[in-house]
Amino acid sequence: MKKVCENWRDALPAGIWGPQHFEEFAARAASVAAEVIRVKTIAEIPDVLSQLVQNVSAKKIVMTENRYVKAAGLIDLFKSMQIETYTSGPDIRAHCDTADLGLSAVEFGIAETGSVCQDAYAVEDRLVSTLPPIHAVFLNSNYILPSIESAVEVFSNVFERGYLSLITGPSRTADIERVLTIGVHGPSRFIIIAVDEEVAGGEA
Amino acid sequence: MTANNRNIRQEIKEKLNDEVLRGALGRFAEAYPISRAKAYENVEDFEALREQIKQVKLATVANIEAVSDRFEAEATKRGAKVFRAKDGNALKEYLLNLCREKGVKRIVKSKSMASEEIHLNHDLEAAGLHVKETDLGEWIIALAGHKPSHMVMPAIHLNRQQVAEYFSKELQEDIPPEIPLMVQVARQTLREEFLQADMGISGANFGVAENGAIALFTNEGNARLATSVPRIHVVIIGYEKLIPTLKDAVPIMRTLPRNATAQLMTSYMTMISGTTPTMVKVCEEWVEQEKELHIILFDNGRLDAAKDEKFKEIYQCVRCASCLNVCPVYTLVGGHVYGHIYAGGIGAILTAFLNSMGDFEKINELCIGCRRCTEICPGKIQIPDLIEELRARAVKAHGLPASVKMVFENVLANRKVFHTLLRFASIGQKPFQSGRLIRHLPLFLAGMTKDRSLPAITDKPLRDRVAKLSRKPENPSKRIAFFAGCSTDFVFPEVGEAVYKVLQDLNMEVVFPEAQSCCGKPVLGMGDKETTKRIAKQNIEAFEAAQPDVILTACPTCTETWHITYADLFKDDPEWSSRAAALAAKTREFTSLVAEEYKKAGRLNKTGGGIKVTYHDSCHMKRALGIHEQPRKLLEAADGYELVEMKDCDKCCGMAGAFGVKYTDLSMPILKQKLANIKDTGTDLVAVACPACLMQIQGGLDKQLPNVKVKHVAEIIAENLDKKQE
Repeated sequence: MKKVCENWRDALPAGIWGPQHFEEFAARAASVAAEVIRVKTIAEIPDVLSQLVQNVSAKKIVMTENRYVKAAGLIDLFKSMQIETYTSGPDIRAHCDTADLGLSAVEFGIAETGSVCQDAYAVEDRLVSTLPPIHAVFLNSNYILPSIESAVEVFSNVFERGYLSLITGPSRTADIERVLTIGVHGPSRFIIIAVDEEVAGGEA
Repeated sequence: MTANNRNIRQEIKEKLNDEVLRGALGRFAEAYPISRAKAYENVEDFEALREQIKQVKLATVANIEAVSDRFEAEATKRGAKVFRAKDGNALKEYLLNLCREKGVKRIVKSKSMASEEIHLNHDLEAAGLHVKETDLGEWIIALAGHKPSHMVMPAIHLNRQQVAEYFSKELQEDIPPEIPLMVQVARQTLREEFLQADMGISGANFGVAENGAIALFTNEGNARLATSVPRIHVVIIGYEKLIPTLKDAVPIMRTLPRNATAQLMTSYMTMISGTTPTMVKVCEEWVEQEKELHIILFDNGRLDAAKDEKFKEIYQCVRCASCLNVCPVYTLVGGHVYGHIYAGGIGAILTAFLNSMGDFEKINELCIGCRRCTEICPGKIQIPDLIEELRARAVKAHGLPASVKMVFENVLANRKVFHTLLRFASIGQKPFQSGRLIRHLPLFLAGMTKDRSLPAITDKPLRDRVAKLSRKPENPSKRIAFFAGCSTDFVFPEVGEAVYKVLQDLNMEVVFPEAQSCCGKPVLGMGDKETTKRIAKQNIEAFEAAQPDVILTACPTCTETWHITYADLFKDDPEWSSRAAALAAKTREFTSLVAEEYKKAGRLNKTGGGIKVTYHDSCHMKRALGIHEQPRKLLEAADGYELVEMKDCDKCCGMAGAFGVKYTDLSMPILKQKLANIKDTGTDLVAVACPACLMQIQGGLDKQLPNVKVKHVAEIIAENLDKKQE
């Protein structure tokens, strides 16, 4: 899968990112209806996911094979739960529209706005994050930048070409009578699973 | 609709009677400033951000060829095809060819105002293509066959019942007017469109020259789908959206969502640089392919604007539409009366450049020059000034209507004739209260209305009273030449008397140059620069002859005219421009001068209350002159008065020069809001520092709140001096 940047951690500007911004990030994200779940270790991820999958009665999941998915053994988990799971490009395209849940990884959070940055160069990342009614992302809770300005500094260094997104809460509209309504074309639930533990291995 | 057969007054009347629209816009106007302020709670310095945007855009527009060349080169290097479209026809031809060549049958669009500018959908559909708008608001108005009434909220003029009717008709089934349900219906219906589309068309919020990227801010997610699912992506981007580097985007990213929708960031902010992968079905199998990316750089008047010394300012527009949200006229009538697709003050300007000057001329008077928009525009565009300049150009090109021209040239430019007419008016008010001629004279000559009475012309103007008032102190601290302005001279001479009293109490000598006339602003407001110059010269000569230390006015508009307009008017005439500048430097507004002097004398201390008074900020006093603390300090220092702030104290009273008289239908609802806010303070006294506001508010109180009085700050201070002397 294509990436705008192969190593986002190294691209973060030294000295200004870190878990000290997490609280503000989480509060801002929550204020725009993102759901933030913080866990300490990778080992906790399977529990979080199996609970989520049961709560929403998910039968079909599309996801990118990111490092969190691999480290937490989610493919095996979903198999054991007898959930249809698709991870290849063609499969994702064929099933993203009927899947109950999309899973992907994001690169960093921004405290100022409660946004997460998704390296969306690969079409798989865009499909799993936009078409299913629920989108859950994995984020390292240390990778939080304070501001839009610092995020753009990162982009300025790495964005040679490709597709980048800031995602800030679920899809929304206020086009009828200015009444805020969640879930138009994109997901109506946006869940951030923030992991304190550094995850090595797998692709970036 | 063509420009020439429109009846603007009739259209305005219809909108004012549209209860759905009035309700929606009224609630929005109330809510917007509050939610916007909240969105800025974690921004330290909005002024710095907008100054950055202005500087970035100024630098870009000065170099637009180089910046667009770089953008094109970088995008091309990354696999995009860049086409520069001179106008709508060129754009459509390119697009239709592309559709033919690539076998495109179905198109999904995410929002693109540039495409609406040229009614693109109409041409695509005429060519047999299936085209769907996917932004919910855009889809709704497409079903309704309407134009957008707001750039960010295109369907704000419709309520849920109306939307349900359009949905039911389109889908041939009964859709109940429940918003969440209707949103789900839109999701399902349009989802199929995304999945089947061959091409996605989007606009762009900015384009970055250094890496050829375009950016999209959306909330619904439709832009992500339109740019990811179909095999071809077409971007339509106006030249004014280009910026040199990614870092230049920071102030746009921080202000656009906050100003547009009071969000810290939209749900999705997407940047796309070059071609990206997509999945395409080949022989029943999904395979990954590089998506085709076409970027249409759209001119349609934009490059001409870039070369225009004044109108290159439109490049500073980030299309947040916040100028509409605070506009007293837009929030009454909505966007449709602006005729084309761009609404409000900025819309009037864009329409002139991107559509036609004829369309502009129909609507140019809908800007009342209150300058509220200039306080919040992220690009620091001086919208009212640009509109005034456009008016001047229209007059230069086509002249004024004959009757107006006659009045300006023969009456207003000749002080004696003008003043004789005013004296006659005081005797026989009646004949002057109607008729074409009168409408174009300074506002107080117009008629009465149901909700507002206008004051009578005095039988003894200030110029006939000054001989009695004048006295020369032995060692005057300053020699003041008082410029009364038409309203104080002929309608409110008692304000002039109060000014004399207050200044003389400060040991100042006050003189009244007899040859002074109207400041000329009403004439300039109509776009007649030449007559304004003649009037300005008379005033400049009169005040040079008086040799004052200070030229003082008690009217913010006159002050602004002396301060800025005269020098600007003669900028191509070195002699007169330096004479104007010398006097501009001496010009002071009454409350600011008196507050300064009182402070020096230790007289500007808050005193105990008793009589409650509320202060109304004149638009020009606050936003053009920046004077808002001084009149309040003076009121608080006046013995026995207690200042109570009213809601929206700095929102226009609806007079706005001749507007209040010419567009009574629009002026009255604005005045009513003001009166309601006055009533809510529970005070019996309103203070103003502007004769036009005095006239408007007095007229409204007289008819609607007869127990409340309005006075000029000068009168309140002068009465206080009287009390002390007793």
